Amino acid sequence: MSPDTIISGQGVVKKWGSTTALDGATFVVRHGVTGLLGANGAGKTTLLGMILGLHRPDQGTLEVFGLDPMSAGAHVRERLGYSPEHHVLPADVQAFDLVRHIAELHGLPRRDATNRASDALYAVGLGEERFRPIGTMSTGQKQRVKLAQAIAHDPQLVLLDEPTDGLDPMQRDQMLELIRRCALEFNIDVLLSSHLLEEVERVCDAVVIIGGGVVVANAPLSELQSDRDAYLVDVVGDVDAVMGGLERAGLSISRDGTRLIVEVVDDAQLDTIRDVVATAGAGIKRLERRRRSLEDAFLELLDPDRAPTGVH
Amino acid sequence: MTDARILDRSYRAYDGPRGGVLGAMRTVALHSMRHALGIKRRHGAKVLPVLTILLAYIPAVVFIGMVALFKGFVLDNDVLPSYAGYFGYVTAAILVFSAFVTPELLCPDRRSGLLGMYLASPLDRNTYLLSKAAAVLAILSLVTIGPLLLLLLSYTILGQGPDSPLQWLATLGRIIAGGLCIGGLHTTLSLAISSTTTRKAAASAVIILTLFGSLILVQNVVFGLDHSIYYELFDFFRLPFLSVARIFGEATTDNDPKLERLNDLPAAVTIGANVAWTFVFATFVWWRYRRIAVTK
Repeated sequence: MSPDTIISGQGVVKKWGSTTALDGATFVVRHGVTGLLGANGAGKTTLLGMILGLHRPDQGTLEVFGLDPMSAGAHVRERLGYSPEHHVLPADVQAFDLVRHIAELHGLPRRDATNRASDALYAVGLGEERFRPIGTMSTGQKQRVKLAQAIAHDPQLVLLDEPTDGLDPMQRDQMLELIRRCALEFNIDVLLSSHLLEEVERVCDAVVIIGGGVVVANAPLSELQSDRDAYLVDVVGDVDAVMGGLERAGLSISRDGTRLIVEVVDDAQLDTIRDVVATAGAGIKRLERRRRSLEDAFLELLDPDRAPTGVH
Repeated sequence: MTDARILDRSYRAYDGPRGGVLGAMRTVALHSMRHALGIKRRHGAKVLPVLTILLAYIPAVVFIGMVALFKGFVLDNDVLPSYAGYFGYVTAAILVFSAFVTPELLCPDRRSGLLGMYLASPLDRNTYLLSKAAAVLAILSLVTIGPLLLLLLSYTILGQGPDSPLQWLATLGRIIAGGLCIGGLHTTLSLAISSTTTRKAAASAVIILTLFGSLILVQNVVFGLDHSIYYELFDFFRLPFLSVARIFGEATTDNDPKLERLNDLPAAVTIGANVAWTFVFATFVWWRYRRIAVTK
């Protein structure tokens, strides 16, 4: 296990009855913000549970901080923060009391837990609201309380399960900003489980993509996104002729009205596009480089036959 | 010159000591006790625990007052209850705490999913349950062991206590053992029932039904149908009080001739059954929590 590795899984298998949640997952999570991606029911929450030492792998090995979370569960969890997916906060308890309680649970003396509960609530923007009962808070505030309780004891790693669930766009932006701050300012590594590709793309340094119980990709985000580029070519004239010419030239294309999305591996292919359009007697209204999105990578990895249509 | 203070609200790293599993258990137990007793909660949440504690201690205070008032007179057992007899005065308090405190401490954690957050701490299912059980037992001890300790100490100060230091220690040991017999059975029984539902009210109702149901059923079987006295070992209401009487070496009842057959139950069998049921209920809770899916 390399020094910058915080979690590593090797051939992890987990079955629930006849359902196989994980079928030989092999992956590595390093420092920074890592996205754990997969469709609903892909096994993300099961994997989080295994990292917490709540479920034993049926096969394979899983190490967190170089420790087995089943046999050294208490040591592992002491250094972990966890924000669950569902709203699990007691309604009649003040946010401050809950955060302090969770900090104490992770071993902090009461005085330190008291100070850090305030600090964590200030850090997530709930300083003035910290003595309000959680039941009176908005969904966005509750999500912030969940994040505050996860970071109050200064964990080495926080596991965030769908932290933007139920938030409006503005609240979601603020939450993503907070998650980024955890890594950059608070020096806490983050494993962000989400099915929302766009938010993973915005805050993560790397991703682990789970599909069909196996890890289909485990790489830095930049590596996945820059694998191939695509160009948007908005054609004026005979679009069918241009498309036919590009296909004959061996380029991968998808069409949306007059707009063609053309995958380009090197600059010479841009010349090919120019030549094919000129030969067809058409014109180019707009030529724009489109970065390959995580969604494209995700869809391709889960379904390799699928053409890259969703560039942004 | 004015005092100036820099209020630093930035997030900082923590390098201090951490309490580990024992620290987490202590935190859960103390937090649960404070919650059950209504400490730092709305006024309505304080009413039941305060009334229950008053119910358990007021007779003790009255008896202590009588001893103090009639100092110099020897008050016989018709006036002052024996230590074992005092457990009869706290029956209602035990029932209230058993039926309402345990569901309050156990059910909401599963209902809301907060259990998942507890299990994401150094605690595991076993240490979580041990912490909750310790909290329930401590609260029950407030009304079982607490008033009797008050009596023992007060009687001793007033010159009505045990005759020798050895007897004093023996009485103290019996009070603690008796309190643990009652507390242990009620704690595990109420935990077992609370582990089967996430609804507090349902758990409370089933606890009360189980205690009174077993009392009525066994009473009819043993005294109505004249079956073996050993059926009394299935009476969860009376069994811990029978055990206390055996621990203090007293007759179960000296007023009702119909109930005299209860004295035929050997001490070892009675106390053994009490311990066995405690173990059975504790095993059931452990088994239930092993099966609960926290995340899946």
